[in-house]
Amino acid sequence: MPKNEANDRPEIEEKTEGTISRRTVLKIGAAAGAAGVLAPSVLDPKEALGFQAVTEPVLCVQPSGASPPHHPFVDEFTAPIPADDHPLSPQPQQFANIGAGEAARAPHQRWAQFAPAHFTYELEARAGLHQFHSDYGQSYIWGFNGQYPAPTCLNKYGKSTVVRFRNSLPTTTTTFGRNEITVHLHNGHHGSESDGFAGDFFGTGFFKDNFYPVIYAGLDAFGGNGDPREGQRTQWFHDHRAEFTLNNNVLGLNGIFFIYDEKDPGHENPSAGSLQLPGYYGVTDFPVILVDHRFCPTSGGRTEIVNAAGGDKFIVNGKIQPKLTVRRRKYRFRFLNTGPTQTYDISLIKPDGSVGTMVVVATDGNLLQNPLPVDAGANAGNSNSITAPIVPGAIRVSVAERYDVVIDFTEFAAGSKLYLKENRTMVVGNPSPDPLPPGLNIGNVLLQFNVVNREPWFPKDTPPIPATLTEYPPLTAIDNTWEWQFVRDPACPAGTTPVPPRLFRVRRPFDGPLGCVFDAEHPAHCILKGTTEQWLINNNVGGSAWVHPVHIHFEEFRTEKRFVNGVEVPVWPLMSGRKDVTRMEAGEGALIRMQFRDYVGRYLIHCHNMAHEDAFMMVRWDITDDLAACLAIQQVCNDVQQCVPN
Amino acid sequence: MERRKLLSRIFEPHPASPGVARYTNAVLRTQNDKEVRFYDDLIRGRQVMVQFMYAECRGACSLTTQRMKRVYSQLKDRMGKDLFFYSITIKPEDDTPAAMKHYAEMNNVDLPGWVFLTGDPEDIKTIRFRLFGMGHPGFDLDDAMHAGMLRILNDNRNSWGMAQAFASDKHILKRISWHDPQKSYAERVIDNRSLQVAIMKDVKKYGYRRDV
Repeated sequence: MPKNEANDRPEIEEKTEGTISRRTVLKIGAAAGAAGVLAPSVLDPKEALGFQAVTEPVLCVQPSGASPPHHPFVDEFTAPIPADDHPLSPQPQQFANIGAGEAARAPHQRWAQFAPAHFTYELEARAGLHQFHSDYGQSYIWGFNGQYPAPTCLNKYGKSTVVRFRNSLPTTTTTFGRNEITVHLHNGHHGSESDGFAGDFFGTGFFKDNFYPVIYAGLDAFGGNGDPREGQRTQWFHDHRAEFTLNNNVLGLNGIFFIYDEKDPGHENPSAGSLQLPGYYGVTDFPVILVDHRFCPTSGGRTEIVNAAGGDKFIVNGKIQPKLTVRRRKYRFRFLNTGPTQTYDISLIKPDGSVGTMVVVATDGNLLQNPLPVDAGANAGNSNSITAPIVPGAIRVSVAERYDVVIDFTEFAAGSKLYLKENRTMVVGNPSPDPLPPGLNIGNVLLQFNVVNREPWFPKDTPPIPATLTEYPPLTAIDNTWEWQFVRDPACPAGTTPVPPRLFRVRRPFDGPLGCVFDAEHPAHCILKGTTEQWLINNNVGGSAWVHPVHIHFEEFRTEKRFVNGVEVPVWPLMSGRKDVTRMEAGEGALIRMQFRDYVGRYLIHCHNMAHEDAFMMVRWDITDDLAACLAIQQVCNDVQQCVPN
Repeated sequence: MERRKLLSRIFEPHPASPGVARYTNAVLRTQNDKEVRFYDDLIRGRQVMVQFMYAECRGACSLTTQRMKRVYSQLKDRMGKDLFFYSITIKPEDDTPAAMKHYAEMNNVDLPGWVFLTGDPEDIKTIRFRLFGMGHPGFDLDDAMHAGMLRILNDNRNSWGMAQAFASDKHILKRISWHDPQKSYAERVIDNRSLQVAIMKDVKKYGYRRDV
């Protein structure tokens, strides 16, 4: 069972697991009543205003039980509302506005070049309530602007943006969340002071302005707004607090971020250079934000999220098994797996039970040079579900991966129903209200499509998807090579035993067997700004049988080679384009090439299984102008004594 | 008055702390042959760092102990007040309280707030399993597997972390600080100001925020 790592959450369960006695529940009540007595002498701004947070949840008595049943296809599938672009007060500035409550940070790079920001958003992390299904009570969440999923930022290349992330989370919390945040925009090309570095978290009462120039990579080489071939379409932002990324993301601290340009303008009119892909946000172009949760009913009619390994309810855009009315035309769906740990195999099921065609137009937000249709028939070879369990015609989406697909509903009669299917089965507890296609189990359905004829007011279908969507920037000459191993079982010499705890680590070939714990203070690799590197990412070490979706911040890469147990295999078509997450299943390796341009600072490479990154399968690397100085603080991780003689 | 309030805040367990259910309340013995209950006397409401070792260990344990000693010296003001180090033997059959006392004295670490613990082998196995366990008996019950990592936890915040014993002192200090007691807004404003000063110095020196 390499794919779905049901027991794969050592750290998190330890942090908060446990039943809670009636006495403890009473104590929580008492603590809430005593809050005024314990208030510090200086109130934070929210407290001073009498800001009343949403009531904290009563923790579940039986967190290991199954979620309550629900009725399928009751709620509507919708896109999260767009974030409100409005002027910020005080105005964003290059240097941290400490006096106004901004968290400490380095000054924004390239501020003079791209300020003032064209778009300014304020996203406030705070407690809220969200109903995941009409059959459920409200659930306590942490959301940006209290919403789940967060409001979507809709941006455009060349329009610089500041997002003011404000931390108004509860000062003390009884939940499993941690009230400190650092928000990463995955996978923006911007200064590391705006990159949500895992160690740069800040507490309640503060804000931090992340400055996203929203330019194409290649500023130094190409001038202007960079190289348009570097365009990325589908990004997402999420909390990256070291040790608590999973907890805070399970509670809801993430959202999606679209970037438009002439090629992909956010509308379907035949404007100059437009590919005319389905492009009206929330109308013909939807994010599909996936997450799984487990729920438990508690007193007061709440249905709370359990801090659990894998959930038994699959959620799309904040709803369990919703339905979407689609017209007989093309739609774009942008799959994003927000985890926290599990991998999805998504297929389209047609009314006759066969697998339908999804045309992939972008991987991790990067347009493919040529669109890739995926189905179980003629295009089965394009499926990336290629290791057990193989799901014919499915798109495998590991945590943080994005796949933008176009589905054409034209060929289906009005009244027909199609389904997005996940390979794993969730607990439903009620039959489908509609007869399902033969062979489809209701527990596998993520989303139901109800096909209707296009009304006159609804946008007309877009032209056929162009055969060529983009041109990839050429691979540049390699300046340096590097290897990262994603290890679980250290390869100790014969006659020795590795020491504990055998957790998840990133290792360089010259390290001790256990590799590196995340060290916010030291780079594990130094890169000279403006150079190109070839990296071998390796999950072929020891007896590891775990999936690691490896994410590299800041730049997109191209995959040159893939390996299984050290033997070269063809690069799967869906990995042939530009990406920022490379899924490493057991024994797999990848040779990737990327450039490091335009900015200096601290960035990360890590496994995006959030339990793994919280267990420190994550290291820092730096881009610098002074390579020698950086190398001087690079340490060898571990010690030979990590392998203890038997 | 203020001070008392502060202390009561620090030593209150988090409402969601798993308490005895996770940590056990096993009776252990200190290097001074005093009986202590693991949760009630050692963990409850406290911020602690836990090392597993044994008195005869000459390799990894000694290095870890020396590293902890350097970290201790930097946190001296807090040690024994709101921060504690525990060194627990994994060979309780051999390590009597006297042997633990000898180890502490030999290493010059018989210090306030640093407690050396031995006890019933089954109890210690359980505690080890609960603090470092992966739920995998093959790994967790292997006596050789005790060095390398330090468990940092704060029952007041119900928060868990770890540090790599062989990394820099700075690394361990920072990992401990990530689990410090919740500070007031006023305290955090002061911290934020001094962090900004340090960042600006660092940026000036290296061209980017590198060391802070």
